[in-house]
Amino acid sequence: MNAFVRIHGPAAREAIEARFARNIAARLSERAENVAPEIGERLRFAREKALAAGRSARGGAQVQSAGDGSAILGFSRSPWWQRIASILPIAALVGGLLLIEDWQTRSQISVAAEVDAALLGDDLPINAYRDPGFVEYLKAPPGE
Amino acid sequence: MATDKELTDFLKSVEKRAWKRAMYAVRDEDAALDIVQDAMIRLAEKYIDRPAAELPLLFQRIVSNATMDWFRRQKVRNAVVRNFSDFEGAAGGDGDFDLLETLESLGSTLEHESAADSVSRAQILQLVESEVAQLPARQREAFLLRYWEELDVAETAASMGCSEGSVKTHCSRAVHALAKALRAKGIGT
Repeated sequence: MNAFVRIHGPAAREAIEARFARNIAARLSERAENVAPEIGERLRFAREKALAAGRSARGGAQVQSAGDGSAILGFSRSPWWQRIASILPIAALVGGLLLIEDWQTRSQISVAAEVDAALLGDDLPINAYRDPGFVEYLKAPPGE
Repeated sequence: MATDKELTDFLKSVEKRAWKRAMYAVRDEDAALDIVQDAMIRLAEKYIDRPAAELPLLFQRIVSNATMDWFRRQKVRNAVVRNFSDFEGAAGGDGDFDLLETLESLGSTLEHESAADSVSRAQILQLVESEVAQLPARQREAFLLRYWEELDVAETAASMGCSEGSVKTHCSRAVHALAKALRAKGIGT
């Protein structure tokens, strides 16, 4: 053996170390196969739990890839009519909001115009409303 | 993407070794089970899209990380670092050449089981396991990944986050330390 190592050098040494290491590893495997039944059962339970988690993750990934369509406007693979159908509700919503805003503006203008017309059509000059005494008179209940 | 069956078969094939590996590190059955379970779940959840061929290396890395996480949680990191830096004494300077003879003798003994003359086979296995468990952490990690999990040097280095040269050094020192320890216990002499 000494002569063998001397002739073949580090390679022979590595080969012997590897052979010894594999022997040890084989013994470890033999021992690992004979773990207590309780440990084996708990490992089985852990494996099943992991597999269930994996299935759940896989299912989630599939749902996500299938749901990459109209819901978030990522409809690169859906037909044209589906794309239009998915846009329609949003268009209706935007149109409705614009109509509501227009109606509110018009009603505000209308109220302001009524007030202006009443003020301008009254016999009382507008400057009278700037007089504090007249304002107090208006606030006072009738008959005082 | 690994199929359900491939993942099941893979986990079945590694779970006991992974538990033992974690046991050698944390020396607590329940903690080792928790580590293996966490590692299995992480593999199944986060790496489900990887091909089956990548599972062994990924799993070993996850087990290593889960073990380190456990140590962090236990707040014994200082002890781990001390063990990790314990590279002294295993190989020693007491004559590599004689040790090589011992290695060959031990290898032959274990292969042919002639040591069963004085010690039962089960006792030898237990002794071997006990000596492996007592190796410094990095040496044990390198030895188990390289020879038990049968990763190549590059994969072992990637899994341990060190250079290939370090893996070779750790493995060599582990082999010599084991040979010395077993010889001291009367196996292989």
